[in-house]
Order: sequence, then structure tokens, then C-alpha cells
Amino acid sequence: MSADPVHAISALTEQLTRLPGIRTASELFAGHPPYAVDAPLRPLFQRGGLPRGEILAITGEHSFSLALAACAAATREQLWCAVLGMGEPAVAGIADFGIDLSHFVNLRTPLQDWLRVTSILVESFDILIVRPGFAPTPGDRQRLLAKVRERRMTLITLDEFPGTGERLGVRDVRWEGTARGAGRLEQCTVTVHGSRTGTHTLLLPAPSGRAEHPAPMPGAEHSVPAVGVAHPGGPVPRIHSVD
Amino acid sequence: MSVHRTVVLAVPDWPAVAAGIAHGLSTAAPAAVLRAGRIISCNAPARASGVETGLNKRAAQLRCPELTVIPWDPEVDHRVFAAGIGVLEDLVARFTLLSPGVVSIPALSLRRTHASEESAVEELLTGLTDSTGWEFFPGIADTAFAALLASRTATRVPPGRTAAFLAPLPISSLTAVDAHAYAELVPLLGRLGLTALGRFAQLAEADVHARFGTLGRRAHRLARGLPDRIPADHVRAREFRVHSPLDPPSGRSDVLSFHARTLGAELLGTVRAAGLVCTQVDIELTATTGETCRRTWRLEDMDESMIADRLRWQAEGWLAAGGAGTGADSRGGPRTRGARPDRTARTARPDRTARAVPENGEDPGPDPTLVSGEDGICAIGLAAAELLSPLGTQQSLFDQHPGRIAHTLERLQGLFGPDAVLVPGLQGGRDPAETNLWTPWQQRPRPERDPEAPGRARCRLPAPRSSSTPRWICSTSAAPRSSPAPPDSTTSRRCSGSPARGRCAWSTTPRPGRWRPAGGTGARPSTGCASRSSPRTGPPTC
Repeated sequence: MSADPVHAISALTEQLTRLPGIRTASELFAGHPPYAVDAPLRPLFQRGGLPRGEILAITGEHSFSLALAACAAATREQLWCAVLGMGEPAVAGIADFGIDLSHFVNLRTPLQDWLRVTSILVESFDILIVRPGFAPTPGDRQRLLAKVRERRMTLITLDEFPGTGERLGVRDVRWEGTARGAGRLEQCTVTVHGSRTGTHTLLLPAPSGRAEHPAPMPGAEHSVPAVGVAHPGGPVPRIHSVD
Repeated sequence: MSVHRTVVLAVPDWPAVAAGIAHGLSTAAPAAVLRAGRIISCNAPARASGVETGLNKRAAQLRCPELTVIPWDPEVDHRVFAAGIGVLEDLVARFTLLSPGVVSIPALSLRRTHASEESAVEELLTGLTDSTGWEFFPGIADTAFAALLASRTATRVPPGRTAAFLAPLPISSLTAVDAHAYAELVPLLGRLGLTALGRFAQLAEADVHARFGTLGRRAHRLARGLPDRIPADHVRAREFRVHSPLDPPSGRSDVLSFHARTLGAELLGTVRAAGLVCTQVDIELTATTGETCRRTWRLEDMDESMIADRLRWQAEGWLAAGGAGTGADSRGGPRTRGARPDRTARTARPDRTARAVPENGEDPGPDPTLVSGEDGICAIGLAAAELLSPLGTQQSLFDQHPGRIAHTLERLQGLFGPDAVLVPGLQGGRDPAETNLWTPWQQRPRPERDPEAPGRARCRLPAPRSSSTPRWICSTSAAPRSSPAPPDSTTSRRCSGSPARGRCAWSTTPRPGRWRPAGGTGARPSTGCASRSSPRTGPPTC
């Protein structure tokens, strides 16, 4: 006669509960809702928001802007966001992304101490944007990941970071608004490749300063190959997956 | 009598009067205060010559050539008024400083000591004018808002007639309470045809709340002559300041910390004995060379060990930056230190100049050549910069773990110095670097330029704006790096006076080489010219 099935399940539950970062067994299945992001950025993430308990890598030329735009909605919900290793960001630009400045902190610590500072900040902040000063050893990486998972916060690195969950790469950056010798830069179209969600195109920043869906352009199919977008064959990609 | 019945005493054109006093002008000399290129206040002699608010400087001086035009300084407004209003503490039991130049007194508190409101006002005005020489206009009504408007015409509104008094007044009167908050609501109401407070007051409260939110509801209550909230009483001006000489002078952090702890305990003890809570503390260090370093720290739940920590950080940063102990080049104060041409705009800020902030994101650490063991700090002083009643320090129930955040950031400040943790703010300026106002955590921001000035970035720089501050690197030939040069001399953000100026490293803003004509078919430019002008090519939008 085997053990009582109810008893076996409760033993399993207890065992799971003892794992670091898992407080109740149901948490394992239900998970935590991701942190909210602005509507145009939702398709970029697998669960429609910033994944919690994971390291998210954003790479490419426009990565800092994308990271700021992604955490804007969360700071407006009174969550705290810290930036590490970015020197002196421009406050006006940060405010344009919709970030609540009273929940935003910039850290100017020596680059070689980034891992130490990050491990302190992980304890209390909800979102961290970090430019690593050096590549950590695999052991450090595992410890950091375990801490992030336990705290259920989001760590965004602006560099390649092995072992990350989602990865977003900003591939193509195209500024618009200048004609030949006239006008000024008004918006920027970027192509973002998500490791789990495919390729998306969005305006970052749009004329308002925030991230937005690109406007449908009549005759865009013809202009696309001419300026050499990453997708020479198809029409202009407007938030659709090409997986 | 209503609890909210209020007597308001207001000095008309207070900024001009205060600026005249601060600059030592006689009361008969015309003076005007300029803010953001416009006259915002002018005194009676200037008005007699035809000067009005809203003129620019040149137009005002055309009308009155002997006019003294003084830039607006809110500090002066507050300081001069606080100095003069001390006499009111002997005259009445309770009063509130609504804004510089305006005091409100609850009428209830005058009831027992004076026969009628008129005689009370008469007596107060006599006492105030005798001691200060300023001309006060009185106003009495059932609410502070109505009394403030009544003081413009020196009116006493009888009890119960406040709504009728307010009804014919223009809707723009709401800006008398808070010009900033109602700046958008007032023109909107005007466009809807609600030009008088009475018309606005006739609307149903629920409808106003649904359409205009909390702010609209507050405005509606004000317009109906209903009390808004009881203003905070004036805390009796009493200086809480402790001072202690260090003999022998010392630069050692353990010695400083020990003294600061005793001194902090003394300060907090006297503050507590007065039934108050100190939320901001001024720490002043005096070096043997006579230079001083002063910072204001904002601390929640302050105790003496927190004060000692802040004092130690401040002293370490100051000594490391060579603020004290370099007797050879004593320049008599932090302000002149910042005026050196090779310093950045950031270090030219008064009172925060003691530490040269490196611009390249790396802390060079203390320079051993600049700190000498013999010299050091010879006196420390603490002053309570902001005092509140204990109820005023209550935290919001809905903040997300602010204590834990504060704890983490304090720990980082302890490890890397107070300037390692910065919170953002905006100030006036014409490029991203100028509009940045990064203030160390728990310190009071001190904007160099008025954030409301028309030259601020929101108007000048059209969106989209860069999310990183561009950095300019000076040509090293203009500022040769010799051994005693400050660590930031070659990487400062901008060097005025340096003729050769190249640009590098916009991290997220466009580089000229990456520009493409919109919809154009031309081939991409192969190389970008790094020294081309910044991408602000469009005309200013305002």
C-alpha cells in the first residue's frame, strides 16, 4: 500500500516551499503578474509586462531609452526604479518617457563596484537598470540571479548577460523628420527583436517623447527597401511577429 | 462665529518692497522685480510713474528711467518678511504665514482680547506699521480665501455674506491661492463661460468633481465660500543652533563623529523640549583656514547617530576634495572656488561647491597631496533648518516601503559618499545638461536657474529629447593637464572660454552620421562628422 496521495502532495508542497524564492506552492503555478508597461511596449514581452524574478537584457544602440520607456508605467504605480552606471542621464528626457521622477534614483558609484552595489539595491528596489562595469564570474551571476528570483524584482542589464530570461535587441535605429537641409529630428523608429516575441517596430521616442506605435504610412512598402530596413522583402513591420 | 473666520493682513507688491529693503533703497525710490524677463511686482512710486506688471525691463525703464530693476529672489521675500513679522508674535496668539507678505489670523483668537473686529484690526495695523513701516491691507471674511481677496480692497465681509461677496469676482481670483495649481483650470473655466466665481459656485458639486477632479472640487468649495482646510500654525521663531569648537583641530573622522554625536544629542534634546520635530538640519564645518562648508540634510526620524554620519561624510568629502587644509590657496569661501574657469557649471553652485564632483562618473578618491594631517576642521555647528509639529511628519500610508528604500540608499551613501546617490529634478536651462538637477539623496535641491523661466527646456528643446546628457570634451591643449590640476579639468561637460570644442559620445541621441532624410532614397552617408553642430536644428518652439 503506497502512501496516502493527499499526504504525498502536502509533502511535495512542503518541499517546494523550502526552495528559495518560492513562498507557497501555488506561487509556482500562478506566478506573479509582471510589472505593467505602456501599451505600445506590451507586445515586446512574453507576458505583456516586465518579467519579475528574471534578468532582462536589452542590448543595442537605443537600449537605455527602451529600458526607461519600459519602466515608466511601473514608476507611476509607485514602484521604485534605480539606474546604475549610466553617468548623468538627462532628466528632461527621462520625464518625457513618463517616468515619475520622485521614484527614480541614479547611482554614480565606481564602475568596478557595480556587482556589490547591485546586490545591495536588489534588496529593496523593484526595477534596476544596470550597465555592468565588467563581466561577472559564473558563480556571481548565479548568486545574483538567485537573489533577483527571490526578491521577485526586475533587473535590466544593458549588456549581454548570459543566463538571462528575455532578451531584447534594438536592431535598427532610424531618425526621421529632417528633409534635405530643413526640419529637425522628430521621431525615431526602432526595430526591436525579442528573444521570445519576435521582431517589432515602434517609435522610440515618438514626437511626444514617449514610446508609441508607428503610424501607418501609405506607400510605405516602396520606401522601405530604399532606406534599407532590416526586412527588405516584406512590408513595413508594424507590431507583428515574424518568428 | 465660524471657526474659519479669518483676518488677513497683506502687504501689496511684497516682492518689490522686500527687494527694496534688501538692497537698501528708500521707500520713495521706484523699484521693480524682474522674473523671467517680465516685471512681476513694482512698488508704489514705480506704479505712479506708469510701470506695470508684465512689462519687460526695457519698457519699464522707458516709462521710469530711475527705476531700479532687481531680479526676483524668493529667499529674500521670505527672509525679509520673517524678520519683520516677529512683532506679530507679541500681538496675537496664533497666526499663519500664507505666503511672503501675507499673514492670516483666526478671528476667533482675537475675540476675547478685542471689543470688535474693527478695533482688533486697527490695533494690529498700528502695532505692525509702527514696528516695520510697511503698509498692510486688512481683509476679514468667513474663509481664508475670501479674506485674502477682501484684503485687496481692505474690506470687512460681514459673517454669512462671504458667498455673496465672492460671487461677482472674476474666476482668475482663484490664482491668488495657488497660481501654479490653478494655471490650467482658470482659463478652461473661462472658455466654458464661467467668468465669475458665482457662476462656478452655482454648479452641482458632484458634477464639478466628476468633470474637474479633486482640484476642481477644491476650487468649487473656495468659490462657494466654504472652508477648505485649517492652515498650519506658525511655529514660533526660535533658533535652534549648537556650535562647538574643536581643539586641537582635527580632520579625523572618528574625532569628528564623536563630537557630532554629542552635539546632535544636544540639538535634538532642545528641539524635543520645545515640542517640535526637526526634519532638516544644517551642518556647517569651519576649517582652520577660515573656509566653511555647509549643507542641508533632510532626514526622516532623525537621531544623533544619523547626524554624526552625515557630518562625517560631509567632512570626508570636503577634505578629500581639498576644501580645507590647503591653506596656500585659500580663496575665502566656496563660492569663489567654483568661479575658476576650468570648473564646470555644476561646481559653481553656492554652498554645494565644497566637493568638486567628477564628471566622468568615476570617483578619483582622495588626493593625498591635498589633505594635510595637521590642518583640519576647527569648529562644527548644527542648526535646525526645518521644524515641524510632530503631526506634520506623519508618513503617507500608501507609500510603498519608503523606509526600506531609504535604508538601502543610506547604506550606499555610507559606502560611496553622499554624492553617489542622486535623485532627479528639473531646472531652467537650454540644453539637457543645464536642465539636469541631480541632488544627493536627502539633501535639499538648490536649483541654479528658475524652472519656470521661459528658457527652460520644455520650451526650448523640442521633444523628443535625449535621455543621456551629452558631454563635450575640451581640447587638452586649451587646458593642459598638469599634475596639480583638478581631476575633472579635462572631462568637464563644457568649458566656457575654451575655443576648441569637439563633441563626442551621445549615447542615445542621433549622431549626425546616422541621419537620413525622411522617406528619401539617397544612400546612407558613409561617415559622420563628429564635430558637427548638435541636432537642435529646429527653431525654438516658443
